[in-house]
Amino acid sequence: MFNRIRLRLRDMRTVSKLIAGADKQACLLGEERPGAEHFVLSALNLEDGTARRAFERLGADSGKFQEAVEKQYSEALSHIGIDPPSLDIQPEPLAISKTFQESQASGQDLMKKLFDLKQKDKQHPLLGAHVLCAVADMQHGVVSRAFKVMGIKPEQLIRSAREEIHGNPP
Amino acid sequence: MPNLDPLPSAEEPEDALAAVVALRHMADQLERKAVKEAIAQGWSWSQVAEALGVSKQAAHKRHALHIKSAKGAKKG
Repeated sequence: MFNRIRLRLRDMRTVSKLIAGADKQACLLGEERPGAEHFVLSALNLEDGTARRAFERLGADSGKFQEAVEKQYSEALSHIGIDPPSLDIQPEPLAISKTFQESQASGQDLMKKLFDLKQKDKQHPLLGAHVLCAVADMQHGVVSRAFKVMGIKPEQLIRSAREEIHGNPP
Repeated sequence: MPNLDPLPSAEEPEDALAAVVALRHMADQLERKAVKEAIAQGWSWSQVAEALGVSKQAAHKRHALHIKSAKGAKKG
């Protein structure tokens, strides 16, 4: 009973860090509201290190995720004949708001999936790897395309993230 | 205006929708840059709003904080 309460309090702190981190990442990348990609970047910065290690297990560099997000935008624009580098529109960081911003729809979907996932797993604390499991379940969108750019298959990432979760004692 | 030919076919919704998202993303960045420049050149918020086709309140709400903080950062 006591352990459950302790775990829940820890999860609440992690959620708070995750959201604050996603807000910060969105602002740094010049976006007003965080989307799923900003939650992934935030998860990679969580102290537990599980999200980062889940990438490493696949031989992928988590530090390249942001680059992959940018690349999927430029690839999509190339498909319609627009060459982004020639347009010179680089995102400028925005002022970081002191209050939590409402997420983009993809960020809200991700948080809902994360909540559902965590309802099923009461044995482990909320970890960055849980965020990857939730986001890898999203078949379309910016994150899915960024994973494709990195050569990461969602099912492999889920497996790798689960291994990280199970390697973490409650 | 860049040549938009060939557009992704409607039979390839993944590519077409990805292009829509990327265009929105690019438009947001362009809007922010243009508004910042307009205000720096002395445009009023009413003029900016009129040019964007939005209300003055909407334009101010969306951009004022970021422009103010960018100015503050330059001064500092």
